[in-house]
Amino acid sequence: MLPVFKAQLKKDIRSPWTVILMIVGSMLLTFIFADTDQQSKIDVPIFSSESNKEEVEEKWELLLNNNQGYSFVVTDEKEARAEVEEGDSEAALQLFDNDYQVIAAADSRAVQLLEDYVHTVFTQEAQLRAAAGSENVEATRNEVDVYLENAPLQMQIESIEGGEVPEHNMILQLLFGITLFLSMFTIGFKVNGVTSDKVSGVWDRMILSPTSKTGMYTGHLFYSFFIGFTQIFIVLVLFHYVLDYDLGYHFGMILTVAAVFAISMVSVSMLITGFVKTPEQFNMIYTSVIPIIPIISGVYMPPGLISNPILLFVADLFPLAHAMEALMDIALFDAGWSEITLPLVLMLLIGVISMGVGVNLVERRKD
Amino acid sequence: MIEINKLTKSFKGKKVVEDVDIYMDEGESIGLLGPNGAGKSTTISMISSLLKPTSGDVKLNGKSTIKNPAEIRRILGVVPQEIALYEELSAHENLKFFGEIYGVKRNVLEQRIQNVLDMVGLKKRQKELVKTFSGGMKRRVNIAAALLHNPEILILDEPTVGIDPQSRSHILETVKKLNRENGTTVLYTSHYMEEVEQLCERVYIMDHGRVVAAGSKEELLSILSSEDTIQINLSDTNDEVVEKIKSIKNIRRVDETKNGIRIISKKGSNILSDLVHAVESEGIHLTNFQMETPSLEDVFLHLTGRTLRD
Ligand SMILES: Nc1ncnc2c1ncn2[C@@H]1O[C@H](COP(=O)(O)OP(=O)(O)OP(=O)(O)O)[C@@H](O)[C@H]1O
Ligand SMILES: [Mg+2]
Repeated sequence: MLPVFKAQLKKDIRSPWTVILMIVGSMLLTFIFADTDQQSKIDVPIFSSESNKEEVEEKWELLLNNNQGYSFVVTDEKEARAEVEEGDSEAALQLFDNDYQVIAAADSRAVQLLEDYVHTVFTQEAQLRAAAGSENVEATRNEVDVYLENAPLQMQIESIEGGEVPEHNMILQLLFGITLFLSMFTIGFKVNGVTSDKVSGVWDRMILSPTSKTGMYTGHLFYSFFIGFTQIFIVLVLFHYVLDYDLGYHFGMILTVAAVFAISMVSVSMLITGFVKTPEQFNMIYTSVIPIIPIISGVYMPPGLISNPILLFVADLFPLAHAMEALMDIALFDAGWSEITLPLVLMLLIGVISMGVGVNLVERRKD
Repeated sequence: MIEINKLTKSFKGKKVVEDVDIYMDEGESIGLLGPNGAGKSTTISMISSLLKPTSGDVKLNGKSTIKNPAEIRRILGVVPQEIALYEELSAHENLKFFGEIYGVKRNVLEQRIQNVLDMVGLKKRQKELVKTFSGGMKRRVNIAAALLHNPEILILDEPTVGIDPQSRSHILETVKKLNRENGTTVLYTSHYMEEVEQLCERVYIMDHGRVVAAGSKEELLSILSSEDTIQINLSDTNDEVVEKIKSIKNIRRVDETKNGIRIISKKGSNILSDLVHAVESEGIHLTNFQMETPSLEDVFLHLTGRTLRD
C-alpha cells in the first residue's frame, strides 16, 4: 500500500497545481458568492420635486429604508428617470408630502412587489398621522413602538435547547459548501488514478507483484482521502485562523465531519469508477454530475427553499447534504456529538455501500 | 520448467487462442512469432497469470499455476506490450516504485536500480521525467522495470515496436546478455523475424490463435527444403508476363513484391531457360536473377500465405 501511496504523492508534488488551484478556488468562490449575497438589496432611486424637496426626501428615505430587501437612494430627478429608462433600475419613486408615484418602464412582478411594499409604508404612516391627530407624530410613533414591544400577544422563537435562535449565516453556509464542493473534484480526480493505472498497464504490473489487491486499492483510495481532506483542512484553517471567520467553537468536530465526508466521497468516486472504462469517461461523467449535487443539496440557497421531495431524496443520496447539515449545526448551534451522529452515520453508510458496489463492479469487468 | 498444454481463450465465444502447446526449459530463449492479432499477447497474459484460460493449463515445474499463481509470479518478469509506467515521474522514481511493490529490500534497491539502468543504458538520464523520453527510451525503462527483482523467467511482448535502431539494438543486446550471462529464461514476442532469428534457439509461429509451426530455426527452415526461392527483376511488368511465369512447369507460387517478383519453385528444378523464354516472348528483359537462401519469413509465408506484417 505504501509504495502506491508514495508514488501518487510524488506525482502531485511534481505538479501540485490542481490542488493549489482548488484551494485558491475555494476561497475566491466563497468571497465572490458571499459578497454578491450581501449586495443583493435592490437599489431604488427616489426623488421629489416638491418645493420642500429636501425635507420630503429625508423623511421618506428614513422610513422606506427600514427593511431588508430594498435600498432607497436619494437621486437627482433626471438621473433617476434616466436609470429607469435605460433599465439600470427596475423602478424609481417620486415622492410627495404624503403620496408617491412609482416610475417604471414595465409593469413587472418586481415592480408590483416594490409597489406593495411602498404602499404599506405610506399607509402605516397615514394611519399613524391620523392617530396622532393634532399631537406630535414622533411621540405617537414612540408610543406605538413601546406598546408593540410589550403587546398582550407575542410570538417567541426559541431553538430546541431553549437558547436564542441565531440568524442563519449564509456566508458560513457558502464557505462550507464551496469548500466541500471543490474537494469533491480533487477526491474524484485522484480516485480516477485507479482507472488510469488500469489503462496504462501499471495495474497489471502491480497484480503480478507480491502486492495484494487490497494494498493496491487502499494505496490509491487512502491517498485520495488524504489529499482531499488536506485540501479542506487548509481552506478551513485559513478561513478560521488567518481570515478570522467565525466557525464556532468546535473546530475539531468540524474537521471530523470533513474527514467523514472525504471518506464518503472517495467511495462515491469509486462507485462511479465501477461504471467507466477509461479515465476520460470518468472525468466526463464526474464533472457533469458533481456540480449538480450542491444545487440540489441547497448549498447556494437559504435553508428550506427546496421542498420538492424527489430532489430532497436525491440530495440525501450524496454525502454533501449530510455534511452541510452537520457543519451548520456545529458552527451555528453548538451542536454536540449526539446531534451530528445521524449525518455522520448516513455518510458512512453511503460510503460503505458505494465502496462495496464500486469495487465489485471494477473487479467483475475483468474477464 | 514451464509447460503449456492446450491453452485456449475465447472472448464472447470467439476463440482467439486455441490449443496452444509451448514448453520452455531453464535457460532457453524462445521466440513467439506472429502477425497482428495472432493471439501472442493473449497467450502471454495467460502464461503470466493475468488472464484465466478458457481451457488448458500452464504448469511450472509440473504444478498448475492457474489456481495458485504466486509461485510463477515470484520468478517472472513481464515486459508488457504497452508502456506501463508513470509518465509524470522520473525513470528513477518509476524504478523505485516498481522495486518497492516487488518487495525488493530497501538496502539493495538502489543498487538494483543502478544495475538495471546500466543494463538498458539510461544511467545518465535517470532523473529525467519519463514523459520527456523518446519512444525507445521509454521502452527501455519499461524493460528495466521488469528486471528489478531478478526474475528467472523474462517474458517480453514486442519490446522493440516502433523505436529507433539504436534503442532496438540496445534492447536486443540486453536480452541476449540476460539469457547468455545470467541464465535467464526468455520468451520473446515479436513480429520481426530477424530479431527472433538472432535471439532465439527455438521459435513458435502463431497465426489466427494457433501454433502453426514450432522448432529450432533449422527445423523450421527444413519445412522449405522442398522448395527454392528465386528473386527476379524485369525491365517492365504486366499481368500477362506474370501469368506466363505462373504457368511454367514446377513453379508453385509467384508474388509481386516491392523488390521485384518472387518465385517459389520445386527444389532443383531448372526453370531458368523456361523463365527467360516466357519473359522475352512478351518483349521484356530479365535484368536480375537471384537464388535466395530461405528465411523464417519465407517459412511463415509458406505456412500462412501471408507475410508477417500484413
Ligand atoms: N479483452 C478482449 N476482448 C475481446 N477480444 C480480445 C480481447 N483481447 C484480445 N482480443 C482479440 O484477440 C485477438 C488476439 O489479440 P492479441 O492481442 O493476443 O494479438 P497479438 O498477437 O498480441 O497482436 P499484436 O501483434 O497486435 O499485439 C485479436 O483479434 C483481439 O482483437
Ligand atoms: Mg500483442
